[in-house]
Amino acid sequence: MNKLLLLAFLFIYSNTFSQELFVFTEPASNMPAKALGVRDMNGFMFEKDGKLNYHNMPELMLSINKKWMIHAQGFISNRQDGGFETEGGSLYAKYRFFSEDGKQSHFRMAIFGRASKNNAESHQEEIETMGHNSGFEAGLIATQLLHKLAVSSSISYERALDNKPNYKFPPMQANSATNYTLSIGKLMFPKVYTSYNQTNVNLMFELIGQRLNGNQKSFLDMGPSIQFIVNSQARFDIGFRQQLYSTMERTAPNGVILKFEYLFFNVFK
Amino acid sequence: MKKLLILTVVLFVSVLVNAQITKAELTATGLTCSMCSKATYKQLISIDAVEKVEPDLNNTAFLLYFKKGSAVNISDVKKKVEDAGFSVGELVVVFNLNNQQAANNSSFTLDNNTYTFMDTKAGTLNGEVKVKILDKGYIVDKEYKQIVKTAKQYPTYASNNKNLFHIKVL
Repeated sequence: MNKLLLLAFLFIYSNTFSQELFVFTEPASNMPAKALGVRDMNGFMFEKDGKLNYHNMPELMLSINKKWMIHAQGFISNRQDGGFETEGGSLYAKYRFFSEDGKQSHFRMAIFGRASKNNAESHQEEIETMGHNSGFEAGLIATQLLHKLAVSSSISYERALDNKPNYKFPPMQANSATNYTLSIGKLMFPKVYTSYNQTNVNLMFELIGQRLNGNQKSFLDMGPSIQFIVNSQARFDIGFRQQLYSTMERTAPNGVILKFEYLFFNVFK
Repeated sequence: MKKLLILTVVLFVSVLVNAQITKAELTATGLTCSMCSKATYKQLISIDAVEKVEPDLNNTAFLLYFKKGSAVNISDVKKKVEDAGFSVGELVVVFNLNNQQAANNSSFTLDNNTYTFMDTKAGTLNGEVKVKILDKGYIVDKEYKQIVKTAKQYPTYASNNKNLFHIKVL
């Protein structure tokens, strides 16, 4: 844990640019108004018995105006016996309600909500409405960009429902949780900008935690990642998710995330 | 003689038409990264009157060139920056003026917008004149609050009229 703090400290005090396009969490900032983002998330998660769980989550993101964004996401995985299955999807909305800008700095706050549907069987106590549980999530995000550093934090309430039609949520398990995240990011390259065509390289470090309401079981994960931004328009992320501790049952907490994203500007008037 | 008269009238009219905003130097606030800058660039270039935008990524600044003869609404620039998710930190506008009298609290109208001089030496302005927009949303909030405190001699300042701008000649 001390090493983690040291790593976080080094991130904060190193003198370079930073970004807040995090891999495991969303910032309070939105995409530019009237832009369309296309994203594909690939998760390669390792089960304890060595089996590889592959999750594919294609996502469309639309910013209606400077304050509102909506995402629609699909969940596909090979966790079921029949091979690749479409398990469900989710709708996500984010409303930026506070924004204060300064010279190369800003502070934003947003509220968000997610409603998900999933028809697959789940064997864990962890509640995850992105690709595991039917349910919903609602929370608050605060993001600070200060000179050359971006720090973002969120807190949310997540509630699991039955994975209809075949899988009831286990009645003995806690069906709601409190989630909290902390993300730090910085730009490694370029040191000085010359054009939009330069590839940007970002390093990020995130902490993702959950506490189940009722029985107080919890976990904390870390998510270091590297991100490449090509032509100031396309994103390619490689992230690693590693459990630091857990007092609850989780099927496959550790793994590798590959994420692709492309932004189309001014898609509608 | 008649021809000369017509020519004079035509010249005079065309000079009036030529009075326009030709360029603007914008500094955007709230961003660092090139993706954010490109988002702002894409918004600015979508303004009809804009011919060309030159970004300065390291200073999050943009130099806007307007099409010759087009009516420029500087409120469009502010709206587009805010649509990108950011704010205007400073906006310096270049007017092409012809014998414009300048004095504090005096105004002129161009393309349905009124521009009132503030903090400016009295005199006659000709050719390319750089002015800074002093209204809310065109400067950083801190600076706006400072001006409000000291702007009692400018009764129209902070009047929230979207077609009224207060300008300081640089």
